Amino acid sequence: MLIYRGLSRISRISKKTSFGRRWLPSHPLLSGASHSAAAAAADSSVKVLGCREAYSWSLPALHGIRHQIHHQSSSVIEDTDSQEQLDPFSLVADELSILAKRLRSMVVAEVPKLASAAEYFFKMGVEGKRFRPTVLLLMATALNVRVPEPLHDGVEDALATELRTRQQCIAEITEMIHVASLLHDDVLDDADTRRGIGSLNFVMGNKLAVLAGDFLLSRACVALASLKNTEVVTLLATVVEHLVTGETMQMTTSSDQRCSMDYYMQKTYYKTASLISNSCKAIALLAGQTAEVAILAFDYGKNLGLAYQLIDDVLDFTGTSASLGKGSLSDIRHGIITAPILFAMEEFPQLRTVVEQGFEDSSNVDIALEYLGKSRGIQKTRELAVKHANLAAAAIDSLPENNDEDVTKSRRALLDLTHRVITRNK
Amino acid sequence: MLFSQLVYRIAARTPRNSLPSCRWILSHRRYGHQPTFRNSNENKKHLDPFSLVGDELSLISMRLRSMVVAEVPELASAAGYFFKEGVEGKKLCPTVILLMATALNVCTPELSPNVLGNTLILDLRRRQQCIAEITEMIHVASLIHDDVLDDADTRRGIGSLSSVMGNKLAILAGDLLISRALVALASLKHTEVVSLMATALKNLVSGETMQMTATFEQRCSMECYMQKTYNKTAALVSNSCKAVAYLSGQREEVATLAFEYGKNLGLAYQLIDDILDFTGTSASLGKASLTDLRNGIITAPILFAMEEFPQLRAFINSSSDNPANLDVILEYLGKSHGIQRTTELALKHASLAAAAIDSLPETHDVDATNARTALVHITQKIITRNK
Repeated sequence: MLIYRGLSRISRISKKTSFGRRWLPSHPLLSGASHSAAAAAADSSVKVLGCREAYSWSLPALHGIRHQIHHQSSSVIEDTDSQEQLDPFSLVADELSILAKRLRSMVVAEVPKLASAAEYFFKMGVEGKRFRPTVLLLMATALNVRVPEPLHDGVEDALATELRTRQQCIAEITEMIHVASLLHDDVLDDADTRRGIGSLNFVMGNKLAVLAGDFLLSRACVALASLKNTEVVTLLATVVEHLVTGETMQMTTSSDQRCSMDYYMQKTYYKTASLISNSCKAIALLAGQTAEVAILAFDYGKNLGLAYQLIDDVLDFTGTSASLGKGSLSDIRHGIITAPILFAMEEFPQLRTVVEQGFEDSSNVDIALEYLGKSRGIQKTRELAVKHANLAAAAIDSLPENNDEDVTKSRRALLDLTHRVITRNK
Repeated sequence: MLFSQLVYRIAARTPRNSLPSCRWILSHRRYGHQPTFRNSNENKKHLDPFSLVGDELSLISMRLRSMVVAEVPELASAAGYFFKEGVEGKKLCPTVILLMATALNVCTPELSPNVLGNTLILDLRRRQQCIAEITEMIHVASLIHDDVLDDADTRRGIGSLSSVMGNKLAILAGDLLISRALVALASLKHTEVVSLMATALKNLVSGETMQMTATFEQRCSMECYMQKTYNKTAALVSNSCKAVAYLSGQREEVATLAFEYGKNLGLAYQLIDDILDFTGTSASLGKASLTDLRNGIITAPILFAMEEFPQLRAFINSSSDNPANLDVILEYLGKSHGIQRTTELALKHASLAAAAIDSLPETHDVDATNARTALVHITQKIITRNK
């Protein structure tokens, strides 16, 4: 209902206003919304999206961003605004497909069997949402410094191309590390519906999953080495360590730790946000940016990642099987206590007893859900997600000014992502 | 005699000119030993390659133990499992690396601080020790993962990590070690060295993959077997030796010789290992013998035997299903020249390794000469060992 109200509101907005201004007044950050209003802001941010997005979110069972893009372009012909509504994913779609192709050829090993095992996760349809590489490519454009003195065209282009290739390489490495950790995770937990189709685990056996993960990790190392930048090597090596630490934290928690919000946020940083934050920082370093800018890029990635995961936690309770690609309530059924439950436990301490009993007994799941429903757990989680999304947006706004058109577009797209992360429903 | 003390005696006797007291400073600062004079009988000890670098090896072991601390206690204890005293393995690889460092760290006028950039000569040894640490971490990570893949129960005379702490933790511990190795690698700020060790890691994974996914035809091929053996055993030590050479500021030809030494040493080592799997005993190997055969892994002796007795192939194909076949296979092996030919091949590679050392640029430096002698000595030791 909110969406249709939003649609009508947006159509009233003057088309003469510049693109950026259209939704800035409602930007939660600028409106100085307090925390209590943030929940409302989270819902109202749907209204501030361009009508194309609003239209697309209301269509059921859409999967794959490309599908949405096609729908958007064909359905909203009447929008004659000269400054197009930016779809962050479409801005880099072409580059992404080049990247995917290159990844596929990069994973060709001397042993074909393993290459096909690794490719399994890079095939179209199983690629997840290509979220991370999109962020990285947009960040690359958003940070690219133009050479001040006009060099001979050829030289400048060559330098720019080489830099871009190196930044694309970061995106590839990031994907390889991410998929490697998923493969090794799959060995660990019974994620049999990972990404909507049978996990690699079932399909090709436990051992091949281990090997395929090792394979990707080692190839990522080689690619990292080829960038000839040891700081970047350190950053991404730290990511691997964090992924491993995060997974172990999830596996081996004591009762106290499982019920601790601090522990949960630390684990979430390690498992989800570290990859994006450190690779954003790597992008900045490759671009020759200052340490301050590198930190801003890091902050963007970190807060975006945290917001993403928090909404993911919410969707695990509120989403549907079809839209998530994994069974809903899967976290709680695996005994993984996420933010909504943690917040609910603050309001209802008696929930903790249930949590400690564990959730193998499905009646405990029902009890927990009941408490969750009575509590403000979901809302508080959304608020926290919005807070992090705002921090991410603030990081982009703090970047050094740059009037280059591509740079501005990319930065807007990155801002747009901070909204999408909150408002997605799958 | 310990390296440092040997060094001090030389420094005390010979005047220095171009790079004054560099090695004396090395011994003093790095190892913190107070120089003492020993009697000449102890000179003979330096012929034992392992004792030449004994102190350094302990230092490296200590550092490794401190490098595998982690936030999560379970992870830390899993990652540090094979760095505890008593289960650190034979330490052949770190020994070779440290000896190679000494063999190549010749103070010539070309290797002035300017050439090495901001890296002081004093730090050179530390950096080379770091290569040994990195190599050990990668090596142990691969052992841990291999044990998961092979469902192995024992390793280095104790329970395998996967059997003691579960597959889950073992996989994660291996990944942690890789990430720590990478961080240490990056800290060396030498991009070619990073490439070398990344290549070694890639080769290791390829080797294990080849072993797990090879077709029967591939498993019966000597060429595939040698490639797999290079990947699994020789790649790590060959690339580490080359890395040590690069850090030392040596030129490409010398780095290649270091590489060749490591490669041939590794190949020879594995070939003898293959033989020992047939001829050795449980007690001396720390693992059950005939393991390869029982796991359907076809090694050099069998491959050679198959050349003489093609009918052997049929038994190999079904050996993992039918234990009685093992006896038949062993009988063929006994009739054939499989063991002898493998030994000859191992000797050939050991000679190539020794030749690489002999081809190194001449030096009058006593330490370097001793280290080179020790490296050649190792090529003989690995052939004659019985465990």
